[in-house]
Amino acid sequence: MMTNAEALFKPLRIRNLVIRNRVMSTSHAPGYGRDGKPQERYQLYHAEKAKGGIGLTMFGGSSSVECDSPATPWNQIAVSDDSIVPYFRQFADRVHQHGARLMIQLTHMGRRTRWDTDAWLPVIAPSVRREPASRSIPKEMEPEDIARVVRAFADAARRCRDGGLDGLEISAAHGHLVDQFWSPSANTRRDAYGGSLEHRMRFGIEVLGAIREAVGDDYVVGMRMSGDELLNGGLTQDECVAIAAEYAGRGLVDFVNIVGGQARDDMAHAVSLPNMSFPVAPFLHLASAIKRAVDVPVFHAQRITDLASAARAVAEGHVDMVAMTRAHIADPHLVNKLAEGREDDIRQCVGAGYCIDRIYVGGDALCLQNAATGREATMPHDIRPGDVRRRVVVVGGGVAGLEAARVCALRGHDVVLFEREGATGGQVNVAARAGWREALSGVVRWLDAQVRKLGVEVRTGAEATAALVAAERPDVVIVATGGAPSPGEWPGAELASSTHAVLDGTASPTGSVLLYDEMGQHNAASVAEVLATRGCLVELATHDRMIAQEVGTTNQPVHLRELYRLGVVLTPNAELVETYREGNRLVAVLRNTMTGAEEERVVDHVVVECGTLPRDALYFALKDGSVNRGQTDLPALLEGRAQPALAACGVGEYALFRIGDAVAGRNIHAALYDALRLCKDF
Amino acid sequence: MALIVACLAWGLVACVLLAALGLARRWRRGRPVRVDWVAGLAAVPRRYLVDVHHVVERRPEAARMHVPAAGGLLGGSVALMLAALPALRGSRAWWAVVAVLFAAALWGAVLVRRRRRPAVPSFLSGGMFLWLPGALGAYAGGALLLALGLLAAPDGGSPLLLAPLVLTVGGAVGLLVQFARGPMRHAFAGTVWLAAHARPGRFGGGRDTALRPLDLDAARLGALAPSDFAWTALASFDACIQCGRCEQACPAFAAGQRLNPKALVQDLVAATRGGGASYSGSPAPNAPPVACRGGMDAPIIGAGAMIHPDTLWACTTCRACVEECPMMIEHVDAIVDLRRGQTLMLGQVRPGAAQALRRMRDSAEPGGRPLAARADALAALDVPVLPEGGETDILLWLGEGAFDLRHGRTLQALVRLMRLAGLRFAILGAAEPDCGDLARRLGDEATFRLLADEAIATLNARRFQRIVTADPHALHVLRNEYPALGGHWTVQHHTALLDELVTGGALRLAPRDLPPVAYHDPCYLGRYNGEVAAPRRLLDAACGTRVEMARHGLRSMCCGGGGGNPISDVDGAARIPDLRMAQAGAVGAAIVAVGCPGCTAMLEGVPAPRPEVRDIAELVLDAVVTA
Repeated sequence: MMTNAEALFKPLRIRNLVIRNRVMSTSHAPGYGRDGKPQERYQLYHAEKAKGGIGLTMFGGSSSVECDSPATPWNQIAVSDDSIVPYFRQFADRVHQHGARLMIQLTHMGRRTRWDTDAWLPVIAPSVRREPASRSIPKEMEPEDIARVVRAFADAARRCRDGGLDGLEISAAHGHLVDQFWSPSANTRRDAYGGSLEHRMRFGIEVLGAIREAVGDDYVVGMRMSGDELLNGGLTQDECVAIAAEYAGRGLVDFVNIVGGQARDDMAHAVSLPNMSFPVAPFLHLASAIKRAVDVPVFHAQRITDLASAARAVAEGHVDMVAMTRAHIADPHLVNKLAEGREDDIRQCVGAGYCIDRIYVGGDALCLQNAATGREATMPHDIRPGDVRRRVVVVGGGVAGLEAARVCALRGHDVVLFEREGATGGQVNVAARAGWREALSGVVRWLDAQVRKLGVEVRTGAEATAALVAAERPDVVIVATGGAPSPGEWPGAELASSTHAVLDGTASPTGSVLLYDEMGQHNAASVAEVLATRGCLVELATHDRMIAQEVGTTNQPVHLRELYRLGVVLTPNAELVETYREGNRLVAVLRNTMTGAEEERVVDHVVVECGTLPRDALYFALKDGSVNRGQTDLPALLEGRAQPALAACGVGEYALFRIGDAVAGRNIHAALYDALRLCKDF
Repeated sequence: MALIVACLAWGLVACVLLAALGLARRWRRGRPVRVDWVAGLAAVPRRYLVDVHHVVERRPEAARMHVPAAGGLLGGSVALMLAALPALRGSRAWWAVVAVLFAAALWGAVLVRRRRRPAVPSFLSGGMFLWLPGALGAYAGGALLLALGLLAAPDGGSPLLLAPLVLTVGGAVGLLVQFARGPMRHAFAGTVWLAAHARPGRFGGGRDTALRPLDLDAARLGALAPSDFAWTALASFDACIQCGRCEQACPAFAAGQRLNPKALVQDLVAATRGGGASYSGSPAPNAPPVACRGGMDAPIIGAGAMIHPDTLWACTTCRACVEECPMMIEHVDAIVDLRRGQTLMLGQVRPGAAQALRRMRDSAEPGGRPLAARADALAALDVPVLPEGGETDILLWLGEGAFDLRHGRTLQALVRLMRLAGLRFAILGAAEPDCGDLARRLGDEATFRLLADEAIATLNARRFQRIVTADPHALHVLRNEYPALGGHWTVQHHTALLDELVTGGALRLAPRDLPPVAYHDPCYLGRYNGEVAAPRRLLDAACGTRVEMARHGLRSMCCGGGGGNPISDVDGAARIPDLRMAQAGAVGAAIVAVGCPGCTAMLEGVPAPRPEVRDIAELVLDAVVTA
């Protein structure tokens, strides 16, 4: 067992509540709320963590207490009326059954929300100051608004207690109403609620005072707040420490939950939800500073992705509870795996930010590398062996093939995996060579280790042919041969190299490079960073409205920051229409997608990112010999039934399936979900 | 001639008695103990014929050797002595009886000789044993010929009988030497030991395994020199016939860990005789050489004495040697006596153990952890803490293992099962001190007493029907060793409780389709408490296939975790748990079921590939059918 592990298994008592260990998940909005309620999907998602040994799981990030802080925007939870209470009860039972504690976050978002949703009420704030991120212009709160919102917090808190939740925190972080009052950048009031720090703290004190009165003494109430807003004109670290000390000293809070930064604009948002470009636990020092100033337990989350860092944070006394929220999205059973001495089996969060990036565009949180998270009703985190043992041949050791092999092996089948390259990983290995995207290699590392541990026969350096596959006498063949870079479809496309070729070293452009991106994903942006770092003069052009348009809000600002720093010329709204050779250089013709005007670039190299085309030769070679002609039965797949082709297989016959980019170029999650969804019923 | 023969027999007996007197004089130098001679001597025939033979018969070939050799020799000699009576002396029938008895003894001598042919097996000794069959054969053969001669002519005095007479006398002299200086003294020492045994409760199938409390106010504590042992213990060492069964059962010996119980006993014997290296069996493996200097009042332990300290500390107190000993010698008592002497008189504690012992005194816990942390693993299960004066049905004693995450999972499973069965139970929380087991096994009786007094006072201040624990070491201390200090409760191992719940229908199990499961008996549950059936019943109800290791039940092999081994480095050729897991693997077990936190830790420490280790509580919880 790793150093300091015992520190994580020390129970924590807050008032009369005992939390079994020091690992928690903070409140967040996974986008699973329906009609403002945490229903089955939401509950099962948290129950899975409880089953996996977590001490405390908090749900309902930014759960609203009042109608002018609508729950609609991110499918959040509305605690603004009593209809929520039965859902809380059901939720609490589901989590308590596994020995974990359940808490919620309550908030009023103030100006940090939208007015154009179901209720169409204007947003409110301490002062009329617009936040760049949310864009809403608020109404300045009148004393009656303040009294109304304080009352709403108290009523919501009572509902939490009545619903059997073990406690709650109010959010005074990320620019919500309570910290809007604190922050001079949002609060320019001249009454008793503005001006001095003492005045600016008043609103929050009234909120917590009313909550305590509503829930009584024997209930845990905490507060999430920043340890330093890291913002010009925002709260400094000293002020944050002073606020925490004041609130804790007054006995208003039973714990404080510390974050670093704020979220008022794109870059601040990316910093407050650090992705894989950040070091591990970048803001632990902020929590640690507050820990020295308060006598209540301190919680902290922010890119603590591994248990060794978590254990150190607790053992060294920086924090009392360490939150591993995204780490639990990647592996909800990580605590039990540690307790059972199976640290090596933990699927560690790589910090891709896929989960959070999806919810900020209105989607549901899904894990880049664990297709079962958020799908607990249909996808198993623990795959149990089945009754039948089959011979399965998986062709392709990319993430789709590895996941298929893993799931089939767990189902009890006898699995052989062919991989053409010397190591498994496929396209992810290539992507991981791009600068700060290196942590993607963790996705492959885990899958590869699991597959080998499960006894899959991994044949690397072996390109499968129809004859080699047939020689294995398989019952099932899964083709996961992945995709090859698409060259693009304009005259002279053959003169360009792919981003893939740049990363795998087959192309080494120097001098001036035009990098043309049709996908808007990480690929082009990260290759532009690689080339610029190597000294190339890079222009990144795309037909989209902006660079890296499809990259989510915690990652795109990091790309843009790097591209600006490296002097990459960014040219959106430009379509590549032709390339041709002129002397020893290339001419690329770009057409403005809005005006239609054409410009030429004379460059040394053109690199393009146009997605992938399936590598399907082997599939078609095997198709005619299969009992199902390579077709996946889609109703069976969607309903979670075994593929009928398996039952139809006679002796010497095989069923054939195709998954991942070998079908159509998509992403890591799609490849893994293809594999898990199909193979779990084999 | 017949009269001469009878007189010779009487003379032989007189010489034997004289030699016995010598032995007795040596034993008298030991610590006096009160012996109920009347009851003891009266019990000897039964103890010998039932208890001793029960052990001897585990090896039928040994029994087949011993019956004619011992029966013939003793019977024949007594018959010869009775020939002093004129009526018998003149009876042909009587000489026929004598002839038959000595024929048996002669056959016995042949069998004794065969044991060491063609080579002396490693577990047997050579030395004087090599000519013992000769002496026995000469005596028995000579006497047989004499008897046959007298059978032909009861009142005759044929000069032809002179040769057998010389043979008989020669054999008798040899046997006398074997008695005074060699293994034949076991007959006398064994008889005395059987009559004056330190644990009479062991006869008739009982299990008396508790260490005896020490009078801490005495001037000498434990044993430093032979004269510190109870004289009966000295007699028991002389009773050793060096059959090597203890050596074959000893886990430390098997792992090359500097202890051979047989050599230890022989070294103790040599110590009483002033030292020297007459022992000719397998030595304690890898033990550094010692000076072999002894004496009744000379130190036993030390490189300059008879026994190296490493030998003393290599013992796991598993009692496998005791269980195997046909003479019912108490090796573990001797070792603990010696450990007490080293620890309490010289302050020479086991290397590496000083810190644990100090923490036990300072904070009532060998790891020095806060006592409240013992229940950490149960934090989410809300088990009530029994306050002083409080009352519950079952008091769950968590034990030292509870601090360990792994055993925490076992306790969680146990608590869940007790909940499912609807039991009312509580824990002591921060009031539970260590039970003192480790200190006691390490010879630190003072620290043990300190903790025992605290534990007994804590328990006596609360009311409950019984104590349940998942730790067989705590079970043994609470159940068997605290009564002598004023603690009397019903104490149950968790497997006994679960067995009761399953048998009584409070828990319903559906056997799961698991790969083969082998049960590893914890020494302190099996050998120390005789509980081997309940765990097996539970496993049969919870798992599909159960297999048995060759060594199981009362003759199971230790995991290596007893006697304080885990807190210090043990030098050896192998690790005991590695040997044990290999035994489990050899019978095809994929899971080793355990019932002790010590065994769990030791066996889980074996590198993969190895069978999985699961506590019975975990296996039962997995198999339980709810609603």
